Amino acid sequence: QDNGAATLLADRVILTGQNQLIAEGNIEVYYGASKLTAQRVVYDAATESLRIEGPIRLEEGEGAGTLLIADQAELSRDLQNGLLTGARLVMARELQLAAARIERQEGRITTLTQVVASSCEICVTDPTPLWEIRARRVIHDADTRQLMFEGAQFRAMGVPLLYLPHLRMPDPTVERMSGLLQPRFRTTSLLGPGIKLPYFLTLGESADLTLTPYLSTGKTATLDARYRRAFDWGALELNGALTRDSIREGETRGYFFGDLNAVLPGDYRLGVDLRLVSDPSYLLNYDISDEDRLWSGIELERIRDAELIWARLGNTHSIREGESNSTSPMLGGTAQWVQVLRPAALGGELVLDWQVNAAARASTLSTDGLDDDLVPDGRDMLRASMVADWRRNWLLSGGILATAQAELAVDLIQTRSDPAYDDTTLRALPSFGVELRWPWVQTTGRAAHVIEPVAQLIWSRDTLKDAPNEDSLLTEFDEGNLFSFSRFPGGDARERGLRANLGLSWTRHDAAGWSLGVTAGRVIHAEDLGQFPTGSGLSGTRSNWLLATHLNTANGLTLSNRALFDDSFNFTRDELRLAYAGERLSIETGYLWMESNLAEGRPLDTSELMFDTSWRWAEGWSGSFGTRYDLTDNRASRAKLGLQYANECVTVDLSLSRRFTSSSSVKPETDFGVSVELAGFGGNSGARNATRRVCGR
Amino acid sequence: QQVAFGGIRADTSQPVEVTADSLAVNQETGVATFSGNVLIGQGSMRLQAATVLVEYGQGDQSKINRLLASGGVTLVSEAEAAEAREAVYDVVKGTVVLTGDVLLTQGSNVMAGQKLSVDLRSGTGQMDGRVRTILQPGGN
Amino acid sequence: CGFTPAYGPQGGGATLLGGVAPDSPQTHDDFALVRRLSERLGPAQAPRYRLAYEIATDELGQAITPDDATTRYSLRGSARYRLHDTVTNAVLLTGEVRSFTSYSATGTPVATQAAEEDAHRRLMRILADQIVTRLLAQAGSLPQ
Repeated sequence: QDNGAATLLADRVILTGQNQLIAEGNIEVYYGASKLTAQRVVYDAATESLRIEGPIRLEEGEGAGTLLIADQAELSRDLQNGLLTGARLVMARELQLAAARIERQEGRITTLTQVVASSCEICVTDPTPLWEIRARRVIHDADTRQLMFEGAQFRAMGVPLLYLPHLRMPDPTVERMSGLLQPRFRTTSLLGPGIKLPYFLTLGESADLTLTPYLSTGKTATLDARYRRAFDWGALELNGALTRDSIREGETRGYFFGDLNAVLPGDYRLGVDLRLVSDPSYLLNYDISDEDRLWSGIELERIRDAELIWARLGNTHSIREGESNSTSPMLGGTAQWVQVLRPAALGGELVLDWQVNAAARASTLSTDGLDDDLVPDGRDMLRASMVADWRRNWLLSGGILATAQAELAVDLIQTRSDPAYDDTTLRALPSFGVELRWPWVQTTGRAAHVIEPVAQLIWSRDTLKDAPNEDSLLTEFDEGNLFSFSRFPGGDARERGLRANLGLSWTRHDAAGWSLGVTAGRVIHAEDLGQFPTGSGLSGTRSNWLLATHLNTANGLTLSNRALFDDSFNFTRDELRLAYAGERLSIETGYLWMESNLAEGRPLDTSELMFDTSWRWAEGWSGSFGTRYDLTDNRASRAKLGLQYANECVTVDLSLSRRFTSSSSVKPETDFGVSVELAGFGGNSGARNATRRVCGR
Repeated sequence: QQVAFGGIRADTSQPVEVTADSLAVNQETGVATFSGNVLIGQGSMRLQAATVLVEYGQGDQSKINRLLASGGVTLVSEAEAAEAREAVYDVVKGTVVLTGDVLLTQGSNVMAGQKLSVDLRSGTGQMDGRVRTILQPGGN
Repeated sequence: CGFTPAYGPQGGGATLLGGVAPDSPQTHDDFALVRRLSERLGPAQAPRYRLAYEIATDELGQAITPDDATTRYSLRGSARYRLHDTVTNAVLLTGEVRSFTSYSATGTPVATQAAEEDAHRRLMRILADQIVTRLLAQAGSLPQ
């Protein structure tokens, strides 16, 4: 018996003289956060109980609390205990439980008898909801926030499908509770129709375990487990599975992924990753991940305004077709310390970049074996470098911004098992550069225009002591490195010789309307030192033309294209991306063209079309379709189709995806998934464009 | 036994005494007007008001028919007290009708409304006009 | 035709040189963005403006071979920026810039890892350059 006062409002109150008070007309009773409205209330002061005549509406807790609607009720003064008849309990404005009787004890236990529970809108004109659970009795405990159904019968569109003597479900306010999660059905061409039954287990406040048995008609028996643990200094997540299936008879298959993230004192961040898998096709067969190179290792970093400390050490296990884990450098490590200084005398900024890079191969052979590279199978390499980079700007008259740049790169390289190179090589490469920028701006009209010509001249020696090149084999040429001192991604190779980087960019920016950015550029080398492979667009003395365009309009269209082509307009590379994000329709399509480039390990031209679209049409229905089409082989490589219906009480997800692989270890596979999620039990994701059923007039 | 919301009860057979600072009698209408701290007493019931008009029975000056109190009225019986702007005490019928911001308090129970009509004999009563009641716990 | 040198007297861009202090970097990408902003606008001496930024990147696998190897990744990035007055902290200019870079995954893991890190650095240089261009375009509206 709480001791707060209850307030009663009514049109008329009759004092009967026998310790009773009869209130009539638009009754409102307030007690704490509960509010009751009714037509007639008899309050007996002796028993402190309210006999209430409907229509009764009792709202508890602000916002998404519970709502009780009843014809009649007998409640305690604090509205916490008592009996309601012909009642409907609505929880978190989502789950409705209609019952002949609802009884409440100590404001905590609510017992409903002859119950129909559903989160679907029930219309008078068509009373059978999309789904409902009928039960002899339902007990709701406000503390544990659980609903216990006794003698439960699950019906879909009025048709009884399932009978469960006991059923325990979380109420809609529950974010986190142990129990069965909603099952998923998955059919794949290799494993046949199967079902996943996830069970979620909370282990104290900051840890949980999800066990998901996955069974399919005699094809697979898999137990998948995910363990998550939160610490105040970081978080740990372990994922793994054990499988016996028909794809690899008689073998125990599985995978184990471990991820630890920690914040150490002195705001260092530590990441530890572990990736193990039993065989190459497991991750694809069970749709775990697309990764085909599994990196396990440790990463440490601390980032400040003028300093970056970063270290990464680990081993890669490749499950890619035809890639050897012994004759390719799988064990790799990098340590880097970047200091940004402002030398008082020189002015400008001096950046010192200290690095140690190691790449090792498991094999110890110093001769090249059968693998498809021309590198001794067992070559290992360690490179310690210091790159000092100084820059200073001057604003010249007329608005020209001049920049002087100087760089000195010193490398100490240790090589093993490669007779072509000395064991130890020390080399240094000085470079000097001048850059002139002369941006013009026009802001008179609706839009602002900026035209910026840029010219940069860089000198460095034509020659540099030769060393093995492990990290600078995949070169790119775009606006990001048009004006860089070295267009090689790593430090094993450094750009040499006298060269001029020329660029012109024009930008139209209109915040309300459309904006366009066009950048053109070219690199001219004094001499062709054969530094860059042919397919990279940087070979020869005159590089390919670089033309990049970015357009975005106010109504959600974005187009970006980057092309590398020579004087006679044949394209070395072209990447097009077109995306439209509309109200009901979103499209993303892209085209990729890359000329073959053996040095990069790309024997054939790449010509791939990518198309993804999703659209919402009728009430609550939405669809999605995506494909990858390989134009060189003239075949689709991937396709997926999705259909979703979501209304206020159910979300049905259908997904169909197909991988058209054609290789010995990775067979083509079709994956069809169905998932039905009932709203109203446990806090659902809610991030869906659900429609709400409207009762016909 | 303390009766919550027992309504206001009084013994209507008791004589009615009226005291006031001054009394004015209007010869033609025969209406008497008490004014200034008027106090009407009957048994355990007290009714105070700024001014009270007395209506006598038809042609019988000794019998009081009705008392019309105004200018802020307070009605007190053993356990209840009621305040209002005006009140009409019909002595013959034994009823009191208080109107205008009526406030009825019984122990810690408070009830507010626009019109309270009380039957002094049966102790029943009815409050009208968006009544607001505080239900205190513990049976006071 | 209405054009004037951005860093010239009527351009308004000169106040940006040495005048913009980007917020402290938290991630690798932030560090690369701040480095390029400092290269383009010069290290901030007595900064009149503070530049706040939020970077978001996501990766898309491309060039999928018959044996299901993803041989190309496209790294898409966007950066929302707000130029604040250092004294009053009032927001003077806001905007969002977007671009993408790509890297191949055909080489060895060491080469692919280096290519990925370089793609991030290049993307941050492009986003920083776009922010500087937008600031130059709107510099005229800054209080002198």
